[in-house]
Amino acid sequence: MNDELLARRISTRARVLAPPAGLALALAGQGVRRAGAQDQPTVRLTGWTSSDAENKLFAQIVQDAQTATNVKIDYQPIPSDYPTKLQTDIAAGSVADVFYLDSMPAPDFMSNDTLLALDSYMSEAGVKAEDFYPGLIAAFQYGGKTYGLPKDWSSLAMVYDKTALTDAGIANAPANWDELKAAGQALRDKTGEPRINIPPDFARYLAFHYAGGASVISEDGSQITLDSPEAEAALTFYYGLYKDGIATTPADAGAGWPGDAFAKDFADIVFEGNWMFPFLEDNAPDIQFGVAEMPAGPAGKATLAFTVSFSIYANTKVSDAAWNVTNYLTGPEGMEKWTSLGLAMPARPALADAWLAKFPEREAFLKTGEYAKPWQLGVGGQAFFNDANAELQNLFAGGQDVKTTLQNMAKAAQNRIQLQPK
Amino acid sequence: MAAVAARSPRGRNPIVAEDRRAGWVFVLPAMVIFGVFIFGAVLFAFYISLHDYKLLQKGGVWQIFVHPGRTWIGIDNYRDIFNSGDFWIAFRNTSWYALGVVPAQTITGLVLAVLANRKIRGKTFFRTAFYFPSISSSVVISVIFLWMYSARGPINYALIQLGFPTPRPVWLANPRGVIAMALEKVGIDSVSVWLEGPSVALLSIMMLNVWTTTGTMMVIFLAGLQNVPGDVYEAAALDGASRFRMFRDITVPLLKPVTAFVITIGLIGTFQVFDQIWVMSEGGPAKKTTTLAYLVYLEGFRQGRGLGYASAIAVILFLIILLLYLIQRRITEEETTR
Repeated sequence: MNDELLARRISTRARVLAPPAGLALALAGQGVRRAGAQDQPTVRLTGWTSSDAENKLFAQIVQDAQTATNVKIDYQPIPSDYPTKLQTDIAAGSVADVFYLDSMPAPDFMSNDTLLALDSYMSEAGVKAEDFYPGLIAAFQYGGKTYGLPKDWSSLAMVYDKTALTDAGIANAPANWDELKAAGQALRDKTGEPRINIPPDFARYLAFHYAGGASVISEDGSQITLDSPEAEAALTFYYGLYKDGIATTPADAGAGWPGDAFAKDFADIVFEGNWMFPFLEDNAPDIQFGVAEMPAGPAGKATLAFTVSFSIYANTKVSDAAWNVTNYLTGPEGMEKWTSLGLAMPARPALADAWLAKFPEREAFLKTGEYAKPWQLGVGGQAFFNDANAELQNLFAGGQDVKTTLQNMAKAAQNRIQLQPK
Repeated sequence: MAAVAARSPRGRNPIVAEDRRAGWVFVLPAMVIFGVFIFGAVLFAFYISLHDYKLLQKGGVWQIFVHPGRTWIGIDNYRDIFNSGDFWIAFRNTSWYALGVVPAQTITGLVLAVLANRKIRGKTFFRTAFYFPSISSSVVISVIFLWMYSARGPINYALIQLGFPTPRPVWLANPRGVIAMALEKVGIDSVSVWLEGPSVALLSIMMLNVWTTTGTMMVIFLAGLQNVPGDVYEAAALDGASRFRMFRDITVPLLKPVTAFVITIGLIGTFQVFDQIWVMSEGGPAKKTTTLAYLVYLEGFRQGRGLGYASAIAVILFLIILLLYLIQRRITEEETTR
């Protein structure tokens, strides 16, 4: 029995001791690897991807950036729920050195010192803010500093089915609200069902809101102006298309989003972005479609500019290398290569002509650069966006009227958006 | 014995002492993991619920330990929660969810267990088939149901084939309460928000949840049925009791402790529902599928009022579940002592 106990003691001790020994070995290995990596800095880069095709194309650009900057780039896209992952990674201090940042939540990040100010790097490298469309770079400026350079941009325009419009006797794409309504009626009379597809989504309605002459925040940034007579007219028009059976929603049509409804031939007119081109090429190559600017409202033409920046983490250990990567990807060469793949438009006006020569059919999108308003509503804008969508959904379900919807949206804006008077 | 003879002068057996030490070393990893990732996380959530803390805090999370005074706001988060409309919307949604799902899954689970316990052919097949949804990935099931519920999906197709008129119902896009809709049919137009009932969208997700969890409940009831002595049934059969009488007066009373357990885990599960919502509706339409757990996510991670506020909701959710458990236990204890 003594021997047995002794054997147990030894084996117990051996087992207890074994893991630390293994751990020490593993740690030693880590140390060796880390020492080796110090010679050539590695920049971690992250972003989201909307498709496998985009992922492949971007990986190609990353290769080019690696060669041009002589920096090793570790590209790890986040496949889903990007904003959550990005925030938790920042809170944990483990975020990538360079990452995509969407314009809407950007102020929440910029106001909290989580991003590296790029101004000194820009002046050293001779990069000027004027090299970019003013509205796009302004989306990543806060408190007089620049916290990101726009990677590319997309705007909303009207995508329509050429054949369907001709069949319904509509010669030209509708250019204003009255013509849009008339076209919708003609399409419905022809087919027996609503053929315009609009979602109860603030990221689409806002373009109509602006075209109606309404605003969300006053010019001087001091107050919420969302609820106004102009806004009431704009929302009455937008919701009226649905209520009168001229338009339908993606959910009613049995589609995920308006572009999906268009590709499945449940709709002939949708208001979407440049991303429709690669999407339709993959999903509905046979549809003959055209693109026209957003129909003008009482206050003229209006649309939204969606943009994404490359931003650098404030506490990065490889700031110089991270800047070099950012500068290449947003510079004339990198941006030209990236945007020539056709997923989005160049954020540098100097590249616009060459891009248009390559994609002449997308002129309607590029033209909006003159008047498009950035998709951004200040600190808290993202949270307000969630609330505004809920109000629009309630309106479309018949739960409240236009007036109440605007009042509730204005209340949500008061609660969520931090006003910054100029 | 040799081991006893080897006692040390202090009266302790060094070999036993060493074994005890080894025992501690063995449980230490589990204790550390539990302590840090469960117990520590719970305490941390309670601590930050008293702070104005966001994920994108200036200077990072350590600021609230280094300079707790800067972010300390006491019970302000809790006060704001009770004054916010969103909390009460989520509370209503979650309550309707639990009120609908728990009885449905308990009763269906019990009936299925009794049926699957009988000597019928293919018993094993049915048991497996009913249990299958419970062990499948809830995300995969949610995606399949998303497609089934879509406007041109199989459910609407079946309804049209059965002769129900178009327009097709949009299951997951309808925020109207089902009780309010029914009352409208009989001419009552306005009804308190508390009595509107679950929205059509929420009801659709509730049906999915009943379908997936019933299998688990069935398995628990099946285990309970093995402890019901067969001679009780034999005696009842001799007295000429019908199948239904036996079910009502023997099976149900004898399964009471099991039923209590099923209701408890059902309540906990329904009050914490998150994944189906996240995949299928993202809390919409019109916040009518925003549950308390989903509200925690929205406020904490979607640029809402921050993680401090979200943690305060989580603490309230914990207290609600604790209260329900205590009430339920009280009722069961009264039943058993009677």
